[in-house]
Amino acid sequence: MLTVITGGSGSGKSAYAEDLILSYGPAERIYIATMYPFDEESHRRIERHRNMRKGKGFETLECYTGLDKVQVPAGSHILLECMSNLVANEMFQEDGAGERTVEAVMRGIETLLKQAARLCVVTNEIFSDCQPYEEETRRYQQYLGEINCRMVRMAEAATEVVYGIALPLKSNTL
Amino acid sequence: MELVIGGAYQGKWEYAKKKFPQIDWVNGESCTLEELLQAGGVNGFHNFVGRQIDQGTDVQNLAELIFEKNPDLIIVSDEVGYGVVPADARDRAFREAVGRVCCKLAKKAKRVYRIVCGNAVVIKDTVTKDA
Repeated sequence: MLTVITGGSGSGKSAYAEDLILSYGPAERIYIATMYPFDEESHRRIERHRNMRKGKGFETLECYTGLDKVQVPAGSHILLECMSNLVANEMFQEDGAGERTVEAVMRGIETLLKQAARLCVVTNEIFSDCQPYEEETRRYQQYLGEINCRMVRMAEAATEVVYGIALPLKSNTL
Repeated sequence: MELVIGGAYQGKWEYAKKKFPQIDWVNGESCTLEELLQAGGVNGFHNFVGRQIDQGTDVQNLAELIFEKNPDLIIVSDEVGYGVVPADARDRAFREAVGRVCCKLAKKAKRVYRIVCGNAVVIKDTVTKDA
């Protein structure tokens, strides 16, 4: 079962997603971390997220590229964060999927869904401003936008978080 | 406390002025912290946060300070975290800080209005039972 959580930067989507996974009850909880620690700021961000997760029973798996190779325990509850980082890694890292990013990521999502009981993916709204971006950045928006659309099409539920307030985008269970 | 949020140029302040016609407003672009803590409402709250950051003032406890000193404040703020992560570190810190402060404010607010194309969507209401 797939749930997609989206929102802007600093919207409280991570805290919401963690609470959601905990609300599913006891299970092996796996946190798939996709942020590559390339500088001091990313280390600080990773540290902040680690502190938020502390005591919530997550085992952390790092995955910067190649999501389809990740193995998780059968029946586990997975929190993947954040899709925007994974897509950037696939596009711009040497061992990434490059132009085949959308297919590679979607294959990874399908592979995880076969193993896990629940998969919750945190993604990011990066589509609403009017900067004259370079072509590369526009392609990044295009790939992430397409992945978000495809994930939500497959998902049982999707929620946008606005300053900690959950706005349902899609729900198959209600 | 009530929050009026949304993208730029969506009619947030026009909405807020109509909704709360009796209060004194300050502008986040120019007001001091003291003025903010005594005002009826603040327009452009995100600009206030931005100025604090540019002065090197920590905004970690700003939300708590507002709850304590001015719990009935009406806050109008841009939602600034909906674009590509900026290349500039100051801009990243700014949008993140606005988000974190507004998450705390929204948690305490009795109502949160999100304005899109001049239209208000009430996304939180702890007052009107059937909202």
